[in-house]
Amino acid sequence: MAAFARVVGSEWVLDTDLDRDTYRDVYQPANETTHVPAAAVAPRSTEEVQALLRLANEHHIPLWPISRGKNLGYGGSAPVMSGSVILDLSRMKRILDVDVKRGYCLLEPGVGFFDLYEYLRSNAIPLWMSVPANAWGSVIGNALERGIGYTPYGENTAQLCGLEVALPNGELVRTGMGAMAGGRAWQLFKYGFGPSWDQLFVQSNFGVVTKAGMWLMPEPEATLGLGFALPESADIVWALDILAELRLRKVIDTSVTMGNYMRTATMRGQRAEWYQGPGPIPPEIERQIMEKYGLGRWNFTINLFGYDAVNQANARIIRDAFAPHYQRAIRETHWRRGEPLAQSAANIPTVVFLQVVNWWGGRGGHMGFSPILPTDGREAFTQFESTRRRYEEFGLDHFGGFTMGERYLTNVNQIIYDRDDADMTRRAHALFDTLVGDAARAGYGEYRTHLSYMDKVARTFDFNDHALLRLNETVKNALDPNGILAPGKSGIWPRAYKAERT
Amino acid sequence: MRHGGAWRRCIVAGLACTAVGVAAVAGEAAAAGAAPLPGELARGQALFDTHCGICHATGGTGTFMLGRRLGPDNALLARRADLSAALIGQVVRHGINSMPVFTRAELSDAQLALVAAWLTRPAEFRRDAN
Repeated sequence: MAAFARVVGSEWVLDTDLDRDTYRDVYQPANETTHVPAAAVAPRSTEEVQALLRLANEHHIPLWPISRGKNLGYGGSAPVMSGSVILDLSRMKRILDVDVKRGYCLLEPGVGFFDLYEYLRSNAIPLWMSVPANAWGSVIGNALERGIGYTPYGENTAQLCGLEVALPNGELVRTGMGAMAGGRAWQLFKYGFGPSWDQLFVQSNFGVVTKAGMWLMPEPEATLGLGFALPESADIVWALDILAELRLRKVIDTSVTMGNYMRTATMRGQRAEWYQGPGPIPPEIERQIMEKYGLGRWNFTINLFGYDAVNQANARIIRDAFAPHYQRAIRETHWRRGEPLAQSAANIPTVVFLQVVNWWGGRGGHMGFSPILPTDGREAFTQFESTRRRYEEFGLDHFGGFTMGERYLTNVNQIIYDRDDADMTRRAHALFDTLVGDAARAGYGEYRTHLSYMDKVARTFDFNDHALLRLNETVKNALDPNGILAPGKSGIWPRAYKAERT
Repeated sequence: MRHGGAWRRCIVAGLACTAVGVAAVAGEAAAAGAAPLPGELARGQALFDTHCGICHATGGTGTFMLGRRLGPDNALLARRADLSAALIGQVVRHGINSMPVFTRAELSDAQLALVAAWLTRPAEFRRDAN
């Protein structure tokens, strides 16, 4: 720690008991002994990151990098392996470049969604961001974890263009066109010459991203929203098939998200207002909640972004596609450039989603279980029903939904629990464990998971006796022979710590 | 048009905040050690808006939950007159109910002191807080 302090200053080596507690998973029960960091160190610059990596090799100290540590529901700022030192990049928060003409920014990892949003707005820059439901975190960190937002640029990892990375030995590389010392297209062309490395630093432990380019969407002329409320649970069978076709043909070019009643109920109140009995919320109470908030079994809005004439044409195609099945009124929202942004479909950062953890009362927690399915309504409904029954089996309320990607469905399930209730917390984790196994048997794998399940999920990617994991670990051991960088991330264990695999 | 350089201005929930250099704030607060002055209160308010306002401004989840637990008059932290620096420090570093903790890298002890000074400011500085 003294050597680290010489690099960053003693003020930024955080190693008191209180510091260790503040870097733990905020949704973990207090008496848990897993994922406990040894300390944290917070560099201000790329050069300091490089120096810390060299020292970590010299002293064989495992580091766990975080951008802002707000990966809530997936472990927050905590490491997989207890005893790791958190490499906290939240002080590196420079917005290095915003290019309006070409629609990109170059950021350090500590820049949060609120920071970038306010920068764009206060400088009247007509570029829009894609923002996740919990916007407290880092723009780059979210993209590196494959987070999503709700605009045509909503696959945040796909908007990464050009990284600067400190390798585990401290060497600095730039990817893509940035590999040219005088490169003029670093944030414009993703692939460079030869192998393309950007995605190898996503959800991996091969390097520390110290700068990243992100594409931003030019402000559209207009947005148009079409709101649907499907009355029956089985309505997703036909609705998802329609959405998949429209998405494939790019009539819809955003990730449409639909959720059951819990999505609204958890944001607007607490469970005790509705039900205080044992077991999951009964169907009669579900109906009362839906009636109060004017909800259907499934609720979603299709947002269109672009020229108004194009939006109007696409809206007609969407209405026609739904007409044979859906006779209710479609809620329409319209915005044109110059009108208040709050009326548009622009993604404005908010943390209102964090409200969901208050559902049970006490100190809440949540975990996201999100397997990837093919775009098939019947298959999705079967998965939804199977998951709902598992929630009931474990005595928890099912918060489920789907996000329609271009050619895939993400089955998003929130497991919400009161972490002061030991039995409920145990049931929440047992449910998660069961769902991972169920999904894998059906051929569905998770795209992102909590620290505690990284090994388990990695094992479900088992083609040719886990050949992909062997490849990942071959690369890991070549780049990081001392295993100092994020051991256990995504189930990738370096040779030095392979005994820690769970 | 290109824009570059660090950004030191915030607007949270529609409130414009004073431009501050974070490192400078920490240094000044540590050196001062005296009763807060209006300049420090302004810095405390800016830090509050940046770090706390995303939940504790009007319409935020923190405001919503405090309103439910303690009633509408106690929902907005910036209007509360019953907070102490010790309580604020405890909640920020240990969390409370669904509120997560803040690390010292995110909000240093000196910055926390400025936020606490703003939230516990004298009555004559309690105008227009939302």
